[in-house]
Amino acid sequence: MPRFSQKQYEGRVLVAMALYTLCMLVEWPLVRTVVTLPLKCLLALVPVLPMIYVIVLMARRIRESDELERQMHLIGLGISTAVVGAASLIGGFLSVANVLKLDGSILIWVFPGLMFCYGLARWQVARRYGMGAFCESDAGASKYALFVLAGGVLLLVAWLGRATLDGVRSGFLCGAGAGLMALGAALFVAQRRRRARSGE
Amino acid sequence: MNNLIRELRAERGWSQAELAQQLDVSRQTINAIETGKYDPSLPLAFKIARLFGMPIEMIFVPEEE
Repeated sequence: MPRFSQKQYEGRVLVAMALYTLCMLVEWPLVRTVVTLPLKCLLALVPVLPMIYVIVLMARRIRESDELERQMHLIGLGISTAVVGAASLIGGFLSVANVLKLDGSILIWVFPGLMFCYGLARWQVARRYGMGAFCESDAGASKYALFVLAGGVLLLVAWLGRATLDGVRSGFLCGAGAGLMALGAALFVAQRRRRARSGE
Repeated sequence: MNNLIRELRAERGWSQAELAQQLDVSRQTINAIETGKYDPSLPLAFKIARLFGMPIEMIFVPEEE
């Protein structure tokens, strides 16, 4: 059976993220207007579906990885679980002691936090083995293009939703979009320099 | 652990990607093994030995202490 390539994985994750963005733009604003509880629950949980699909994709990716990739996934997931778990404990205790005011919406950030720490940890582990941030960096799409694309999508969403989004959300989308595009540009420059050094 | 994989691969004219495909691992894993940054598991080491038609101890040589 052919391995689940980085390219296939990235393509499917991009589709899931596009669906998630669509849900957040089109469907999520309806949650506040609906009064019946079952429908409210249903609408509130629709954005979770593409995220569950991403988790399934990750599980498949890890299952079909080779031994070194699995080792890197394991270390990355272990470190991210430890960091997010410790942060949750600290936040929870401070909240119970009324030192920090946290509401339930903070739970939305647990999964993105896990993924961010996992990506960072795996990148560090991959560097130790002389690899890039991604196991098959030469097989998938250009990373800088993906970052620029993701940043562009966020900026487009901010522009399209400028009439309905509040200042905080607009600012977050614009900041994240610009940050991702800047990261993409930095990766592009780094790649060009690396290629120039190696004479490619 | 030192190994002769790079030399054996070069003798056969295979690229890292071609060897990786035959062993069902990623090209980066082959690179990490060749550069000594990663020691393969016993099943993968046997697979490599079988592919090159050599005993495992001829390919993988422990570093002297």
